Amino acid sequence: MDKQALSALREVFGERLDTSREQCICYSYDATGKMFLPDAVAFPTSADEVRRTILLANERLFPVIPRGAGSGFSGGSVPVQGGLVLSMERMDRILSIDEENLVAVVEPGVVTETLKEEARKRGLFYPPDPASLKFCTIGGNIAECSGGMCAVKYGVTRDYVLGLEAVLGTGELVRTGVVTVKGVVGYDLTRMLVGSEGTLGIVTKAVLKLIPHPETIATILAFFRSNHDGSNAVVGIIGERITPCALELMDRTAIDCVRENAGLPVPAEAGCALLIEVDGPKESVSAEAERVDQACRRYGAIEVGRAADAEGRERLWTLRRSISPALRQVNPVKINEDIVVPRSRLPEMLAFLADLAYRQNIKIVNFGHAGDGNVHVNVMISGTDEDERRRADEAVAEVFRKTVALGGTISGEHGIGIAKAPFLEMEVGPLGVSVMKRLKTCFDPNGILNPGKIFVEEGMARR
Amino acid sequence: MKREDLAALTAACAKCGTCRTVCTLYPERKAEIAVARGKVVLVEAAASGLDGDAEALQEALSDCLLCGRCERACPNQVSVEEIVMKGRGALAEELGIPAWKQVVFGKVMPSAGGKTAARAAAAASQKLFLRKVPTESGLHYRFPSAFGLSGRTVPALPGESFLGSLPRGEAVRGEVILFVGCVFDHVFPRVGRAAYETLRLSGKGISVFRDAPCCGLPALVAGDRPSALRCVEENVRRLSDASPERIVFPCGSCLVMFRRNMLSLLPKEHPLYGDAVRVADRCEDYASFLLETGVLSRLPDLPKSERPGRIGYHDPCHLSGTLGKGGEGREVLRRAVGDSFGEMKGADLCCGYGGTFNIRDYPTSAKIGQNKVSVAAEGGTAVIATACSGCIFQMRDMAARTDPSLRVVHIAELVSQAFSTR
Repeated sequence: MDKQALSALREVFGERLDTSREQCICYSYDATGKMFLPDAVAFPTSADEVRRTILLANERLFPVIPRGAGSGFSGGSVPVQGGLVLSMERMDRILSIDEENLVAVVEPGVVTETLKEEARKRGLFYPPDPASLKFCTIGGNIAECSGGMCAVKYGVTRDYVLGLEAVLGTGELVRTGVVTVKGVVGYDLTRMLVGSEGTLGIVTKAVLKLIPHPETIATILAFFRSNHDGSNAVVGIIGERITPCALELMDRTAIDCVRENAGLPVPAEAGCALLIEVDGPKESVSAEAERVDQACRRYGAIEVGRAADAEGRERLWTLRRSISPALRQVNPVKINEDIVVPRSRLPEMLAFLADLAYRQNIKIVNFGHAGDGNVHVNVMISGTDEDERRRADEAVAEVFRKTVALGGTISGEHGIGIAKAPFLEMEVGPLGVSVMKRLKTCFDPNGILNPGKIFVEEGMARR
Repeated sequence: MKREDLAALTAACAKCGTCRTVCTLYPERKAEIAVARGKVVLVEAAASGLDGDAEALQEALSDCLLCGRCERACPNQVSVEEIVMKGRGALAEELGIPAWKQVVFGKVMPSAGGKTAARAAAAASQKLFLRKVPTESGLHYRFPSAFGLSGRTVPALPGESFLGSLPRGEAVRGEVILFVGCVFDHVFPRVGRAAYETLRLSGKGISVFRDAPCCGLPALVAGDRPSALRCVEENVRRLSDASPERIVFPCGSCLVMFRRNMLSLLPKEHPLYGDAVRVADRCEDYASFLLETGVLSRLPDLPKSERPGRIGYHDPCHLSGTLGKGGEGREVLRRAVGDSFGEMKGADLCCGYGGTFNIRDYPTSAKIGQNKVSVAAEGGTAVIATACSGCIFQMRDMAARTDPSLRVVHIAELVSQAFSTR
């Protein structure tokens, strides 16, 4: 970035523009751990500041990278080509919660959990629940189309975005979508922006759909002897015509991480566990919990635990919650993929992963939102062994090929960013990539916004 | 600042961002540089040789209350406090320690004589420069605006320190040593006195650690590791010689220095390391000691309070958080004041003191602290009881600024009162 650009930005942001090395280092990374230094960081507090920034960027041709809380797993907010990081964390107001129309209007920096809590106080529910919900932001969730555990029943961020206000790569402030439940007026620009990873526009305001909060919830934890039994049970539960609001699977590799300190006794012969939740009106929840319990036993569960009170549920959850922190003991560096396959192909996918780990002589820990076919494949490596790193990369490529072959998708909820850019074409094909690139040109002709993401090529903006 | 020990500590951070949810300072700063992840990455970069400006880095690392919430929330158990304190230390070595700090930490704090002389000088200057303000927690002085610390109040230094008031020969020998701490000796001697007298009710021989050096925590958090080490060596040597059964601390911050920080400051090959481990093992908080020795079971049952819940307990970050001793202080209160004790609103909010943080950024420290005491007062608390000198110092200042009717006391004062009135 040149001097003129910085001094013009200074006029927009005053002290909220920072070029110090220390601040730049603090905005150089996300949860992937990859680091690229920006040239400057700015903290906008209004849509107009964002608009003026993008106009300037088009004039002086510097990259602009929007950032929420930097909790992403694909490098979406990492400034790979330098430029200006726009940290949206200070635009963090909930502007309104309309209890008659069940709509919330929020700024992008609102922390997801804050919105969920405010909705809850009014008996309302904003379902998306990415694992980082305590610190990730709505803006980041929209950019990556975040999912979470309850996606199996309630869907993902996309399903709750009714409309947006965003600054496009041209510097134009656009309002998309509706504030109503329905709306089919022209192309769906809202959905176009959701999941676009900050490459088409920067969200400055979001209109979100809320639903009534479920009355109650029950939790079931079932242990199985094998991945085969556990993943068949997943298919079986869905076959019962029950839609759980969480259906988490932990395979043998995951259970092994916490067998000794899972916070509750784990049967010695357990090789797979399912954590299942059902929610809704009291009467139906207890009936459904019973049916889930029975289904698990039918598919060979060796032990089934059930809880409907907060304390008991929390106890059952300790197993699932203790896995992520324990991964480090397997190996320090985590390559975290989030593939999705059709539910019925889960048994095949899990068998493939076990075989792959053996063939490549590498540690892979699998757990995730099996109810929607989403598996978090964690390839755990030492980070110091070159050959191990190469085998890990190969393994990841194999996982992606298998996923696509099974009719799945290579990213359920993390996005492409830089981590999966080389595999984009594998899934969407050359024509898919080409259409996407043409769309990118409409929204951001100068390639200002978040260059170097999604597509493999160099971005168009220069530093 | 190429440092391999620091690089090893920072490598544990997975950069997930969980620390953003609990940071006391983040809501004030709204910038990543405030939170643990930012600081850990800064130290990581510097330790691997990617130094920026050492002063700017020192500034970033100083902007932390060391409340430890990030460390307790961290899924990877990254030693954030250790990283920040070691980082400050490495930079202090590089940049040098300001002359006034060298005198305070290097000369005054490690020696009892130095502290007494400094106290006399401070008391004299208080009378000369500061204006008096009466509060429920005792007389405070207010800084005039010219000092750039507009509105800050500091407690009036009493005529005599707690140790100074003990007759010669009293409490020199006993199986239990009271480590009263600088603040409860010099600034709030009533607390030192109350702790001493209530400990004696245990029937154990209580001796007071006279001529005690500072615990070393103020020097350590300021990055002056050599001075902190001198305090630790002196303390370990003398406490080891005395070989008490227990060493009891009315102040949670002094205690965390002994139980935790001391051992990371002394290298394992240090000749005193083994002694330090044994000393650390015998250190205990005031409330735990009272409960263990059953002192409070001698109090008769209390009648129903006219104002139940008017007395609250504040969780000192070090004592309740780092050392996990939040329950004991509450139990002591329950027995000492009956149902006048009630869970305080915002009990676990940090008071905002943060040692040197309070000096380097008083406005922010005060904002956090005023929020703390206002939340408590709005929740119906009239007396905040706690067990850390820093928290008491800070919250008395905050009460003087926001609600002078709010009292801030040490739990020992209430225990002492319970025994004298019943």
